[in-house]
Amino acid sequence: MVPLLVVGGFYLFYQFSKETDREMDQELIYDEIRWIKYVQQESAVGGPFVLKTPELLIYPVNALPADYPTIVDSRDFEESLNRKLPYRQLSQVVGVNSIPYQIVIRRSQLQKSVLIANVTRIMAFVFAGLFLITVLFNWLISQRLWKPFRQSLEKIRGAELGKMEAIHFDKTSIEEFNELNAALNSMANKIHGDYLNMKEFTEDAAHEMQTPLAIAHGKMELLLQDTELSDSQATIVMQTNDALKRLSRTNQSLLLLAKIENHQYESAEQINLSQFTRKYLQSFEEIIRDKQIKVETIFDGEFMINLHPLLAESLVSNLVGNAIKYNYTGGKISIQTTDHQFSIGNTSELPPIKQEQLFKRFSKAATAKDGSTGLGLAIVKKIVDTHQLSISYQHSEGMQLFVIQKK
Amino acid sequence: MNMKILIIEDEVDLRLSIQQYLAHQGWLCETAADFPAGMEKVVSYDYDCVVVDIGLPKGSGLDIVRELKEIESKTGIIIISAKNSLEDKLMGLDIGSDDYLTKPFHLSELNARINAIIRRKKFDGSKLIQFQEIKLSPDARRITINDRAVELTDKEYQLLEYFIANQRHMLTKSAIAEHIWGDEYNQAGNYDFIYTHIKNLRRKLVDAGARDYIKTVHGSGYRFTDN
Repeated sequence: MVPLLVVGGFYLFYQFSKETDREMDQELIYDEIRWIKYVQQESAVGGPFVLKTPELLIYPVNALPADYPTIVDSRDFEESLNRKLPYRQLSQVVGVNSIPYQIVIRRSQLQKSVLIANVTRIMAFVFAGLFLITVLFNWLISQRLWKPFRQSLEKIRGAELGKMEAIHFDKTSIEEFNELNAALNSMANKIHGDYLNMKEFTEDAAHEMQTPLAIAHGKMELLLQDTELSDSQATIVMQTNDALKRLSRTNQSLLLLAKIENHQYESAEQINLSQFTRKYLQSFEEIIRDKQIKVETIFDGEFMINLHPLLAESLVSNLVGNAIKYNYTGGKISIQTTDHQFSIGNTSELPPIKQEQLFKRFSKAATAKDGSTGLGLAIVKKIVDTHQLSISYQHSEGMQLFVIQKK
Repeated sequence: MNMKILIIEDEVDLRLSIQQYLAHQGWLCETAADFPAGMEKVVSYDYDCVVVDIGLPKGSGLDIVRELKEIESKTGIIIISAKNSLEDKLMGLDIGSDDYLTKPFHLSELNARINAIIRRKKFDGSKLIQFQEIKLSPDARRITINDRAVELTDKEYQLLEYFIANQRHMLTKSAIAEHIWGDEYNQAGNYDFIYTHIKNLRRKLVDAGARDYIKTVHGSGYRFTDN
């Protein structure tokens, strides 16, 4: 809009200028014609004619008459006002009674420029006024008109996956927003439906898979009670049992991953990760002692995060467990927490692993250790990803280090 | 021990496995295969302990628990479930069950827990456990052998109690370890450290004059038996 106004202003000024100049030029020419007539009359009586006023010069000159007058703009310094004034000046050499006269007529353009200045100033005010009023009007309308839009936007921002059934987008008086709200309502319903389906699936899957495992496990245990069993037979049975146990754990882990992704572990309270760490270090103290691992902890701050306690347990037990499992005898574990960061490092028998491989499910390095489900770090990563945290992995000087930070 | 146990579980194989194991321990076992049958039994008869699966046909095991609480039954209640969810565990304990086990579980674990519950409920935990010359006082967690006190560490006491509760049964290393140290050790490594504890317990018992009841079976299992 503004460029339009500017172009319009310039065009107006230009046209105005041209018009007034045209008018003035006409008047100068008429003046010239009348003065030529006058000179003709006067010089017919006798003697050359001379007239010199500030606005008018007529005197004989030794030059050839011209066919057309020249009209130019000129600016002359006016002493009384101490500034230059604009003039429009006509000059021509004209032959009167066969004597060449120089005629110079000029007119002040002061009025014109003042007029133009005033007019453009008024136009500027009018345009500015219109502009402001338009802006104000737009703002007022937008407040009222867009209110339902903003309400819907607020609701979308506040939506929680686990509570989608509570969201409802109201009817408004505006057709387009009604369409939007209807679409949002059906989307919210679908999301809620999907969420429930997923929740139901994970619960059913748990039951359907764990129960046969429990049966097989129980039967194996009964079989072991048979005193007629030979050592090699018993070993086979126990190995079968171990495999069943591992299958059960893999199943549980996969379900946990699905549930975390389905946002079934929302938490409204802060937990202290340092506390969970201390708890697991204590739980695992038997094996730490057995492997002669030196554990060094520096709790510089309490790493408080918004996390479901079950997920906190999973997170810590996986990281601490790994630090023990992939350590060598006589190795070292070092844990540090500050208010913004949680880091756990351990001496490791493993070579450095590429970060993309590290957090993938069932990655090779993980399943290499017997009994490992290969899902521990995938669970850690999933928890980190869904709770505004980041995790990084470094391997240097025989130590592997995981650092969790708040985003 | 002539304690009466009710097993309410719809999977027939699992139900029979549990019944077989517990019967071998000397418990009197009755079973129910669905919600109506289970409900009928708990309302009509008295049991010392009820093992109830949450996911039953035609009803929820939780309602059976609620009913038992409603009629102020003194029976011990263990809930078994395929779901390992924390909310279910807490809810189960909240509505009055005494324990919660996730499938799959070691039958010896279930047995140990039934033992513990019955001891708590029937005898306020004060009943002495006796096996030949070994006596255990569970509330004080002390043992005597031939009436002379013997010092055991906390873990060693738990081992002994578990062995005696599952006497004459073959126990795997993982069953024992999971009972005392929990399920999580799988994340940190293996359970080989339990050998040390069992070895120490064995030595203490024998040094105090008891016979060596802890027998190694099939290389990596144990049986606590007097024959």
